[in-house]
Amino acid sequence: MTSILTADAVGKAYGTGSNRLPIIKGLTLSVEPGEFVSLVGPSGCGKTTLLMCLAGLLAPSEGEVRFKGQRVTDPPIGLSVVFQDYSRSLLPWKTNLDNILFGMRRVTGMDKAAKRDRAMEILSAVGLTGFDGHYPWQVSGGMQQRVAIARGIAAQSELLLLDEPLAAVDAQTRADMQDLLLDLAARFNQTCLLVTHDVEEAVYMADRVLVLGPRPTHVVREIEVDLPKPRDQLATREHPAFLHARHEVLALIRSMRQRTVAA
Amino acid sequence: MTRDRRIALWGLSVPLGLLVLWQVLALTQSTPLFPGPVKVGVAIWSNAPVILSELGITLLRAAAGFALACVTMIPLGIFLGRVRILGVILSPLMDMLATLPPPAIIPLVMLFAGTGDWAKIVIITYAAAVPLVMNSYEASLSIHPMLSRVARSLNLSRIETMRLIDWPSSLPMIVTGARLAIASSLLVSVTSEMLLSTNGIGTYLQRSQETFRVDAGLAGIAFISLAGLIVNAGMARLERRWLFWHYRDKTGD
Repeated sequence: MTSILTADAVGKAYGTGSNRLPIIKGLTLSVEPGEFVSLVGPSGCGKTTLLMCLAGLLAPSEGEVRFKGQRVTDPPIGLSVVFQDYSRSLLPWKTNLDNILFGMRRVTGMDKAAKRDRAMEILSAVGLTGFDGHYPWQVSGGMQQRVAIARGIAAQSELLLLDEPLAAVDAQTRADMQDLLLDLAARFNQTCLLVTHDVEEAVYMADRVLVLGPRPTHVVREIEVDLPKPRDQLATREHPAFLHARHEVLALIRSMRQRTVAA
Repeated sequence: MTRDRRIALWGLSVPLGLLVLWQVLALTQSTPLFPGPVKVGVAIWSNAPVILSELGITLLRAAAGFALACVTMIPLGIFLGRVRILGVILSPLMDMLATLPPPAIIPLVMLFAGTGDWAKIVIITYAAAVPLVMNSYEASLSIHPMLSRVARSLNLSRIETMRLIDWPSSLPMIVTGARLAIASSLLVSVTSEMLLSTNGIGTYLQRSQETFRVDAGLAGIAFISLAGLIVNAGMARLERRWLFWHYRDKTGD
C-alpha cells in the first residue's frame, strides 16, 4: 500500500544566521489511506508550522513532503485544511452554502447543479440542514466549524488536515464534534491527520498517535491505538487500551517537559 | 399620538419658528440684500430650470472625476497593499498629500491645463484619489492573514484572490474612502468653477453675488444641499446592500 502522505527528514527554520530559529528538524512520518492519525506534542513545539508544511502552505527548509507520491510545493488538490480559527476562515459575505461551494471551485467533472447537490448533502451530513441560507456570523461557533469542515470535505478531499479544529469550542460541543468527525471520515472516505494538544482527544480519535518532541520537533514515538470502532464517548474512554495509550502519551510529554524545564 | 411623534413635532417647531423670525426680520429691513423666506422660495421656483442645468454640469464633472479616481486608485491601493515594498516607499507621499487641501492645487493646475472641462476633471480626480488610494491601501494591508491562507489552500490564482477575497474584504474601508472622495469631488467641482469657469453651479453662485441676487444665491445653495442629501442617501442604500455582512447583527454566539 502506498502512503497518501509522507514527510521525509523535513526541517523548517525561521530567520537566518544567529537569528535562525529551528522549529522542525529531521521529521519523518507517513499516513496510510483511510487512517486517522493524531499528532500530539507539548505546547509551542511547532505543530501548526508542521501542518502548514504538510499542507503546502509553507515551504520546508529541508527534506520533502509527498502527497500521493507527488512532491508538495503548493497546496495539492485532494488535500484540505480545516483551520483552528474557523470564524476567520469562512467568508462573511457568503452564505454557508456558498462558502462550501467556494471550496469546490477546483472540483472538476461536476456541473453547477451537481455541485450544489453535493454541497447540500455534505451540509446535511454535518448536521446543518436548513442553515444553508444563513451566513456564518448568524450561527454558533460549533456550527461555523461544521461549515469549515464541510467546505474541506466538499473540495474533493481525500486527506483532511485538521489544525486543532476543536480547540475553541466548548466541552459539550467538543465531544459531539469528535464523534461527528469520526463519522464523516468513515462516510466520505477521508484520511485524517489531526493536530491537537489534547492527549485524550488524540487517543480517542486515532488509529495511531504520533508524539512530537520539543522544538526543534520531530516524531519521538508512534503509538498504535487498538480500540474497537465505532468509538464511544463512555465505553472507549474507559477501555483499558485507551487508558494505557493515554498513560503512555501523557508520561512521555511530561518527561519531555521536565527535561525542557531542567535544561 | 406617540411620544416620539410629539418630540418630532416639537423638533419641527424650531426651524418653523426660525423661518417666521426670518420673515419678520426681512419685512422690517426692506433691502434686496436681506430677502425673506418667501422671496427665496419664489427664487427657488423661478430659477429652478437654470440652477438644475448648471448643477447638472457641476455634478457631471464631479462624477467623471470621481469615477476616474475609482477605477484607477482602488486597484492601485490594493496593489500597493499587496506589494509591500512599493507601499512602504509611497506611503509618506500619500500621507503628505492627504493633509493638503485639494482646492489648493486648483490655480496651479489651471495655469498648465487651462480652464476647460478636462482641467476641472483632472483636479477632481486628484481630490477623490487621495482618500480612495489611502483607504484601499490600508484595507488591503489589514486583510487577515487567515484569508490569504484560505485562498492558497483552495488553490486560487493571484487574480482570483484579489477579486474574490481581497476586494470584498476591503470593501467596507473602500466605501468609507469613497464617501470622503465624493464629498471632496463635490467640493472641488464647485470651488474650481468659482475660480474660473463659464458654467456650473459655482459660477452661478459667483454671478448671483456679483449681481447682488442674494435670493438666487440662496436658491442655488438650497439645490446643492438637496443634491448632497440625495447622493448621501444613495450611498447609504448601497452600503446596506453591499455591506450588510459587515454591519451585521450577531444572532449566534
